[in-house]
Amino acid sequence: MDAAQALAELKELSSQVERAVVLDGKGAVLGSTGDDQAATDALARAALELVEAAGDLHASAGDVSLAEVELEQGGLFVLREGERTIAATTGPSPTAGLVVYDLRTCLRALDEPKPKRSRARKAQPQEDEA
Amino acid sequence: VRKLFRLAVLVGLAVWAWRTFVGGREPHERASISYADGSSLVLEPGSPQFERFAVVARAVLDR
Repeated sequence: MDAAQALAELKELSSQVERAVVLDGKGAVLGSTGDDQAATDALARAALELVEAAGDLHASAGDVSLAEVELEQGGLFVLREGERTIAATTGPSPTAGLVVYDLRTCLRALDEPKPKRSRARKAQPQEDEA
Repeated sequence: VRKLFRLAVLVGLAVWAWRTFVGGREPHERASISYADGSSLVLEPGSPQFERFAVVARAVLDR
């Protein structure tokens, strides 16, 4: 599944996620929700800054798996699995556990192969024998 | 016994009023980090570490 598809599913799944972006191991944007490029870049930059700040607080700087900030105006969540990172913003007082679960589901969906579409056979019209 | 009961009711009302009108107005702000080794940190508002996180988050959330 590609990033755009996974993010579209995330938006369908989660009513709390307002904006989300998926980054690769080098910090490049793989996909995002919404068309606002400036907002996407800002979210990607914030995700990398948050991971860097989280790394400074721990000996194993590169091993941040989750960083979340909840403020009066909303929440910012950054989740890392393997080489990929997903960042999302929410409204005020988000249900953190649910948001993290949805983000993890989205990130794991990226690794899954695209589901094959099975072609439904058209039913043959039965001829009435009179 | 009556006085004790009144006192208990008054204390209960005071706690309820405090939590409803004062405690509920305080913004619930926090930051937490989890690491791959299973360890985690919770940063409380007021600490310099929390402020660093909050500045980054505000830049996105205030857009």
